[in-house]
Amino acid sequence: MNFSFQLAIFGSTVAVLFVMGFLLYFFAQDYRRNLLIGSQNSDSKIENNLRLSRMRREISLSAFILDDSKSIGIRYLITSLLFFFIGGLAGVGMRISLWFPNPTFLTPVQYNILLTEHGTLMLYGWASGSILGLGYYLLPSMLKIRRDSLGVLNSIMFWFFLLGGLLIIFSKSSATWYFYYPLTDQLTEAGGGLFSFATLIGVLLILTSLTVSSIIFLKMIFLDRDESIGLSRLPLFAWSIVSTAILIVSSAPISMIADGMVIYDLINPVFFTGSNGTALGYAIMFWFWGHPIVYVAVLPAFGLIYELLPKYVGKPVYSYSSGVIGLLLLLVFSATVWGHHLFNSGLGTIWDILFSTTSFIVVIPSAITVFNWIATLWSGRIKLTVPMMFIINAIVDFIIGGVTGVMQSDVGINELIHGTYWVTAHFHFILLGMTTGMAFAAIYVLYPTLSGGKMYNVNMARAHFILTAVGTYVMTIPWALGGFLGMPRRVAGYFGIFQSYQDAAAIGGIILGIGQLIFLINFTYSMYSPTIHSNENILEEALS
Amino acid sequence: MNKFTPLFIVSVVIIFSAGSFLYFMYPIGSSGPQATLAPYNSTMEITLYANAAGWNYNTSNPNPTIYARTHVLLEFRVIEQDTLPHTLTINPGPNESQASAIINVNIPPVPGTVVWANWSFSTPGVYTYWCIVHPETMVGKLVLNSSGNNSTATAISSNQPSFYLNGNSNTYGAREDLYE
Repeated sequence: MNFSFQLAIFGSTVAVLFVMGFLLYFFAQDYRRNLLIGSQNSDSKIENNLRLSRMRREISLSAFILDDSKSIGIRYLITSLLFFFIGGLAGVGMRISLWFPNPTFLTPVQYNILLTEHGTLMLYGWASGSILGLGYYLLPSMLKIRRDSLGVLNSIMFWFFLLGGLLIIFSKSSATWYFYYPLTDQLTEAGGGLFSFATLIGVLLILTSLTVSSIIFLKMIFLDRDESIGLSRLPLFAWSIVSTAILIVSSAPISMIADGMVIYDLINPVFFTGSNGTALGYAIMFWFWGHPIVYVAVLPAFGLIYELLPKYVGKPVYSYSSGVIGLLLLLVFSATVWGHHLFNSGLGTIWDILFSTTSFIVVIPSAITVFNWIATLWSGRIKLTVPMMFIINAIVDFIIGGVTGVMQSDVGINELIHGTYWVTAHFHFILLGMTTGMAFAAIYVLYPTLSGGKMYNVNMARAHFILTAVGTYVMTIPWALGGFLGMPRRVAGYFGIFQSYQDAAAIGGIILGIGQLIFLINFTYSMYSPTIHSNENILEEALS
Repeated sequence: MNKFTPLFIVSVVIIFSAGSFLYFMYPIGSSGPQATLAPYNSTMEITLYANAAGWNYNTSNPNPTIYARTHVLLEFRVIEQDTLPHTLTINPGPNESQASAIINVNIPPVPGTVVWANWSFSTPGVYTYWCIVHPETMVGKLVLNSSGNNSTATAISSNQPSFYLNGNSNTYGAREDLYE
């Protein structure tokens, strides 16, 4: 455990990356000034920003040096897709290794590393990153914002996000995505303490980026939107971003404090030492954020469904006000249910009853939302395009994932299924069907704009959808069935009686992986096909 | 849009995904010459009281030299005595070296906390046990004799100044009557 040597390498890497980030920042300042203000000398800054908010920005590498909101959004989209593929490959690797009860090609340490990378990158890199990207990309044109300020801050926060993701990859931590204290500090053969150190700093950077971006979103929505858009005409996507941003701002700092204390504990164990019960303190501080992040990943997808459904059904949303109420109630209730992750940790009966009750109450706003969608679907004629397929699949997956989730609110059932693949099946239904599906739906809707007038190959996109949807079911339904029989999650091997379930899940995982490869092929293929489309899309309002 | 941008993005995605996967799979280097537990068929329990003034400071024999044998599972039972953070770090050789440490466990700063660290050594010789936080005061020697065959039972002769005990006191503070 050559601690000081590796720490020196690690520290110098961080220093170099920071220097590069600040150099980039200065170049960006110069470049932006020349490009935007220097060319049209008569424009005021506000007029420049108006032009920015109306522009249809396409994917290009210059997005990494421009710092208007649209470019920041493209940066986040590209980076989060990168993290999605890294985490996805780790997930497929775990599935293949679990084909036989004894691990085939992964040692337990390697399995734990892949597990940690998969969880951390998917939640912090892909779910959070794609939300930030879509928010930055869609909000300025949806709200016709009058000024696009704080671009430099956005830019720095993006580099924090990227650096955090790279540190998570670099660190090879094996402490799973929530870094419970004694596990984080175990000086194992793999050097758990050292390796978790970098991951914790990466998570801290990403949480900083999320928090600051949320405040910028709130400012964009409440201060910078055009006067013509009253609060009662705010797009539902903007309302979902409001819920998300308030949730992040109110709960992420708690987790950042806990992460900082764990970093201190790695050097000098004071706060969360296991002997006097304070290890539970870390769990409480973590889950105060750890449950809201699940809603952070889901709520913007709700907003996207609300925005896209009317376009493909031909009717407005069935009830705008109940949609807003549902989103805001989800914000309120989701902040009070975090204790249901700790039913088996000995919080006490009173607390268990409280959190069980609040977890059941979350059904009400979720059901309001789902029935709103169903009513909208009922009232019009459905155009079954590729994004619409993703939307319908998202609704179905959310219903299944929600029902399997509500069952866990019962303390007794939770005792039975805690730590089994049932839980994994529950949140993969929601995160795969809802978050990932809606992110891809939005990417397909924005495709003409992002590619500058190109159109994706519809057959390949359909294949991508079918493989994703089928892969989700083939992977998660065996998990749910096996999990109810007690198949433990998070282990590199399993008992032989579960082999059929694990094999089916492995097939599903491979199908999912092939589906995402088809997306990459489609992207490359269509980008080099001729321009056949205007660069308008239905998600952003038409230019006025 | 630049003509090569999509190709660049896709190749970055593929190269980074595959490269990261290989990087995750790359085995983590072992921490030293004795990365794996040596085979053993007997155990020996060693109790140490962690005190910033010295190991077992409140006894008649602070910072004791421990005599033991290789191929015996040494069960270090470390009890926190003051409210300061300590570590039990053991490395081969007569000098303190964190880089070549074989055992490195943290002892929480709550008095009475018991931390176990088990290891069986394969190489005889002089080892140093110490605390990273208090390297000046809390340092002692661990002398490992070869066990001849690997079937040495609890063969610690009584004339050696051993201090180990089999008591199960969870309270802190040294109790002289528990020592031999």
